[in-house]
Amino acid sequence: MHKTWVLIKTMLKMQYSKAGGNSSQIWLLAIVIIFSIPLLALYIGILQNLISELYNVLQPLGQDSIIPGLLFLSIHMLLFLISLITVISAFYFAEDIESFIPFPLKAYQLLLGKAASPFLYLYLTSGAFFLPAFFIYGMVSDASLIFYFYGIILFILLPIIPFTVASILLMIVMRFVNIAKNKDRSKVLAGIFSLAFIIFINVVIRLNTNSNEMMADLAKFIQEKDGLLQMATSFYPPALFSTRALNETASSEGFLFFLLMIGLSLGAFFLFIWLGELFYLKGVLGLGSGNKRKISQKKMKKQITARPVWLAYIQKEIRIILRTPTFLMQCVIQSLFGPIFILILLMLDTANLSGFMNLFSEKHSILMLFIATLLILGGNATSISSISREGKSWHANLFLPLATKQIFYSKILTAWLINLLSIILILIIFIWLLHVPGEMIIIWLILALVANWFTSSLGTYLDFLKPKLNWTDEQEIFKARMIAFIALLLEAGIFGIIVLILWNIGVLEGLYTTSFILFLCLMAAIFTVQLLLNKKIKANEHQHI
Amino acid sequence: MIEIKNVTKDFPGNNKAIDSLNLTIPDGKIVGFLGPNGAGKSTTIKMMTGILPLDSGSITLNGFDIEKNALEAKRIFGYVPDQPDMFLRLKGIEYLNFIGDIFEVPKEIRAERIETLTKQFNIYDALDDYIQTFSHGMRQKIIVTGVLIHDPDIWILDEPLTGLDPKSSYMLKEMMRDHAAKGNTVFFSSHGLEVVEQLCDEVAIINKGRLIFYGNIDELRDEYHTDQSLEKVFLELTDDA
Ligand SMILES: Nc1ncnc2c1ncn2[C@@H]1O[C@H](COP(=O)(O)OP(=O)(O)OP(=O)(O)O)[C@@H](O)[C@H]1O
Ligand SMILES: [Mg+2]
Repeated sequence: MHKTWVLIKTMLKMQYSKAGGNSSQIWLLAIVIIFSIPLLALYIGILQNLISELYNVLQPLGQDSIIPGLLFLSIHMLLFLISLITVISAFYFAEDIESFIPFPLKAYQLLLGKAASPFLYLYLTSGAFFLPAFFIYGMVSDASLIFYFYGIILFILLPIIPFTVASILLMIVMRFVNIAKNKDRSKVLAGIFSLAFIIFINVVIRLNTNSNEMMADLAKFIQEKDGLLQMATSFYPPALFSTRALNETASSEGFLFFLLMIGLSLGAFFLFIWLGELFYLKGVLGLGSGNKRKISQKKMKKQITARPVWLAYIQKEIRIILRTPTFLMQCVIQSLFGPIFILILLMLDTANLSGFMNLFSEKHSILMLFIATLLILGGNATSISSISREGKSWHANLFLPLATKQIFYSKILTAWLINLLSIILILIIFIWLLHVPGEMIIIWLILALVANWFTSSLGTYLDFLKPKLNWTDEQEIFKARMIAFIALLLEAGIFGIIVLILWNIGVLEGLYTTSFILFLCLMAAIFTVQLLLNKKIKANEHQHI
Repeated sequence: MIEIKNVTKDFPGNNKAIDSLNLTIPDGKIVGFLGPNGAGKSTTIKMMTGILPLDSGSITLNGFDIEKNALEAKRIFGYVPDQPDMFLRLKGIEYLNFIGDIFEVPKEIRAERIETLTKQFNIYDALDDYIQTFSHGMRQKIIVTGVLIHDPDIWILDEPLTGLDPKSSYMLKEMMRDHAAKGNTVFFSSHGLEVVEQLCDEVAIINKGRLIFYGNIDELRDEYHTDQSLEKVFLELTDDA
């Protein structure tokens, strides 16, 4: 037990340790807080309204139990999806496991150590989504003390079942995917598989929600007390048990459901450990990552080509991104995931959408398209890992005869190029699904390409402020760093305000004027970032990281 | 020629990691850089190559200041770092090609040098593999090859012989001799005293960031009035007590 605990602490420390906060971190934090307070107030306010409205309608019908029921159901669902992503990266993408193998540790101990970081994420998520709704529901329904007591315990148990289901699924998949013999390739395969799985679940759910049938069922279930709850959670007992435990705090039945949940979670936990012992190490210690083959004289001659420095540099960057499973997932696939997700959902629904653009004026349309694009571009992790991706190779940038500006601009250009993929995808959505008119598409495209340069250079600049080079595993670049969040917050914050102002200025009309103002704002933003970046370069800051 | 003038380097929590260091490394000679662990060898070399900024003083390579004329200075030296774990996701051949592009080595010369050098070092067959799959010694060799491809005047090598097999280590030593014989500069750090004894024309010994000796090995023996082994002299010289 003690060993497991030490292992958990070491693994967490390796991922989340920082070189020590300095001043640049503090002002960044301040910005985050300032931007988040109004959002938080808004969030709580909306939730409060929603829950009390629902409660007032449902309580007289004896159906108020559907509120915690749906809450549990959706949180479990969300946690399951997050588990898929975090488990695969912690259990399989992270290479640090290899440094622990030589120690006399059991597979389950390694597994628990590895599980710590996904669990942290799960608790953060359920803390953000479950706790506020839970407390609001408690207040609205005038709940007893036992309700809160049960609720807290249930909150602690919350991640266990979704986590177990997700990791067992992945462990079995990985055990067999790894037969592909190439570690890097099977990692990427499994990553794509789990994202595809998420899309698949969504599609299935959407296809199954036939609204006519639903209404008929609804009418039937609404007759009996807690009927809605039974209907909604019938295929997923943990949500039912948790809700019954919370709703019947007064009776011994509630207590039984409560015990049942504890038992279920414990059972899931031990199942996880047992299957982990069986499958985990076999899957993770798959085979080597290289494929050795001799190179023919001719082929080697062909590989030797002279390129200009900047092209050679960008080629190197892109090669590294595409070949490192973690980078490929974080920088390319995950950012395509958003647009693809939207694409598939839209395709199921085209009937309602072709006319969608007609609802808004040209000005409002371009503003919406612009801000949506900016969010997608800003979410891309390529720029915010520009420097950090280098890790131990960073020194080579310093002793090789490369102009510092050239290094940074090549990195920005790399991020820009990777983001082009998202832009192309969005372009497809706009043309074929939303039927955006040609004129607007061209204007949007220009804005998107410029905005792409803005997000790419701002991300690179932010990474430059506090890069993480001393990683042992690529995962550490993307975890436990506020930077992705800060970048998105800055971009969305600044341009959100600009868009909001343009949206509401009545005198300002027309596609061209609005777009031109956006363009000017983007240029000003790019200019500012460039100025800041050049200042840092002049001060030789790149030698100090 | 490398000129180090009055160079000082502080680290947070380690003041005077390098303490007003003066050192001139002449052309046409192999100069060995010795000192116990943590003496400041790698730190000095990193400042020479532009990896670490100097706190004060200056370093020039063939007249180019590493801080003021960084780009020109960097074009004329080749550096082998103490840890060869770089660019692991590139294939051997891609790494060499990348270096060739950066130093603008013409294609034909590049191809010819890559072939001869990697065959000599016995890594030709591994060129199409990722550097990640290379052993420590193989990584070392690919980086040495990268340096030799652009044929720099000045060689700066941080523990280049650690991890090399006898044949490769012999070859590298021969190459160092050849290079110096042509009137170029070779500066390398090492812990292997026998190597230093058989290879170096001059040695620089550093301890706790200060230069404690510079000269040839006979001078070192003279100065300490002994014909003891170099090992004894070195131990005495760097003894803290
Ligand atoms: N980045 C750093 N931060 C703080 N101190 C450092 C840093 N790099 C080196 N030092 C310190 O500077 C001193 C000199 O280190 P250096 O790496 O130059 O030693 P070295 O002579 O190369 O040793 P070795 O023979 O072990 O390679 C050591 O005391 C070391 O702790
Ligand atoms: Mg050293």
